[in-house]
Amino acid sequence: MSRRFRATPYLFLFPAVALIGVFVVYPIVAVIYYSFTDYDIVRPPVWIGVGNYVQVFADKTFWLALTHSIVYLLVTPTLILLSIGLAIVVNRKLRGIHIYRALYFVPAVSGSIAIGLSWRFLFDRTGLINSVLQSLGIIHEPIQWLSTPSLVLPIAMLLTIWAGIGYYSVIFLAGLQNIPEELYDAARIDGCNDLQKHWHVSLPGLRPQIVFVGVISSLAALKVFDEIYVLTNKTGGVLDSGVTMVFYLWRQAFQLQHAGYAAAIAIVLLAITLVFSMVNVRLLERQDADR
Amino acid sequence: MSVLEVAGEGRAAAAMRARRRRRQFAGNAVWYVVLTAFAVVTVFPFLWMLLSSLKGLSDPIASVPPQLIPGHPTLDNYSRVLASLPILTFFQNSIVVAILVTGLNVLVSAMAAYPLAKMRFRGRDAIFYLLLATLIVPAQLTYIPSFILAVNVFHYYDSLPAVILPGLASAFNIFLMRQAFRGVPNDLIDAARVDGAGEWRVWWQILLPIVRPSMAAVAIFTFVTSWNDFLWPSLMLHSRDGMTLPVGLAALQGFFSSDFRAIAAGVTMTVIPILLFFIVVQRYFVRGLAGAVKG
Repeated sequence: MSRRFRATPYLFLFPAVALIGVFVVYPIVAVIYYSFTDYDIVRPPVWIGVGNYVQVFADKTFWLALTHSIVYLLVTPTLILLSIGLAIVVNRKLRGIHIYRALYFVPAVSGSIAIGLSWRFLFDRTGLINSVLQSLGIIHEPIQWLSTPSLVLPIAMLLTIWAGIGYYSVIFLAGLQNIPEELYDAARIDGCNDLQKHWHVSLPGLRPQIVFVGVISSLAALKVFDEIYVLTNKTGGVLDSGVTMVFYLWRQAFQLQHAGYAAAIAIVLLAITLVFSMVNVRLLERQDADR
Repeated sequence: MSVLEVAGEGRAAAAMRARRRRRQFAGNAVWYVVLTAFAVVTVFPFLWMLLSSLKGLSDPIASVPPQLIPGHPTLDNYSRVLASLPILTFFQNSIVVAILVTGLNVLVSAMAAYPLAKMRFRGRDAIFYLLLATLIVPAQLTYIPSFILAVNVFHYYDSLPAVILPGLASAFNIFLMRQAFRGVPNDLIDAARVDGAGEWRVWWQILLPIVRPSMAAVAIFTFVTSWNDFLWPSLMLHSRDGMTLPVGLAALQGFFSSDFRAIAAGVTMTVIPILLFFIVVQRYFVRGLAGAVKG
């Protein structure tokens, strides 16, 4: 390899680096700057120091949104458990199993707006859930699912879990298929039953996939938007009961034109995401050290 | 051992085999019940959309007890939706966006991935880690400045380039393509270089054909993601003929508010194309998803 400067590698990199520079790196720098300004997108930004941040931390809706986003993270462990369970089931050599695997994948490709709309009507006051529950005599009056503050977030989370199981279980299925059969044989000889077998062999064997799904699905949970947007018909729900961080960011920036204020919310979200990713990496390293 | 004894043993073994088969069948039957139950839960909302979209006014949407199958199937809802919103134009827009984003994104990512995987040069690691770092940043963070860029600098607000251009580079795809290139033996590349092939030819004629399966998986991912992307397109696209399908579908919700039959028709029309696409490319998609996380 010659030591003289060669332009070729930089030429290969140029388009990607330029695009990411313009559409990712520049916006991050700009959003940091906007967060210190009073800015409504129309008139030029005016520097106001930490004013936005002071306001953000005193803003009840912001804390509500933050709480909702943290609660939303509960979808991650649920998704991991259910997806591993499903992967173990579809890992059996059964006739027609491919058709089932494909069916489970349908929500993952259908698009959040389409599935959000179908769920909105399932849980409508005059929707199917109510009519089934009424027919079974479980309830007598229809429930206002999506107008009940305590139910909006759980329904959105249920939607995220429902749509994600098939997708994540494919990742776990690939992991299961990489685990050598001999390990299961050894476990059987040691007297493990089916459940113990999966506890002692499948779970440790799936560690890389568990970490991957954990990181991906929790980052997705922190920035959930589409589900809330559709289920609450853009409102964020009664008493802001469905407002998450990104939903609040969107409302402040693009509904209320408070771009400077929204930028400060964005920076807080970025800080949370960074801390969260660092914790993830630490956990990963510690687990590696344990082995 | 007498013939009789052997025959008896054979019979016993056959009986045991049959019993085992019966037990296995019973065991499998339990699994099929579980699998089918979950399949129903997964697919039901879509099926319900399809059935409801075929209902006329005489068929109630929700009654006690519920009636799922339309008594008098009709396509009225579809014609009503098509008459008030240009769904076919949305579809065309989505196709244009998804194809351009996918094609160019894969090309740009594969270009950037080559030096990162196979060349040594100053700043390589710095560039690579900077790209990786951008993966952590939620895309929604960048939307305020990107919005201002779209209006003041690029002047493509409310036009398709506004959703195409920002979709052209993805650190994640660069990362996946780099992984694929790293799997190609160096000897192969060196041999081509010795034969006088320049770096561009090595990339185009040697590397790209070898990593075609990975490239297909990356392309399918990008296509589906771009097809379903909502938030950024909803900020950019506002004119009636300029929307992509998800944006149009959200507009449909505003237009028909609680006319469930019409919305069900709209949902059905938008879900069917991507489902057909998924059925066709299913094998590559699943393989690519599995390959993305190696132990």
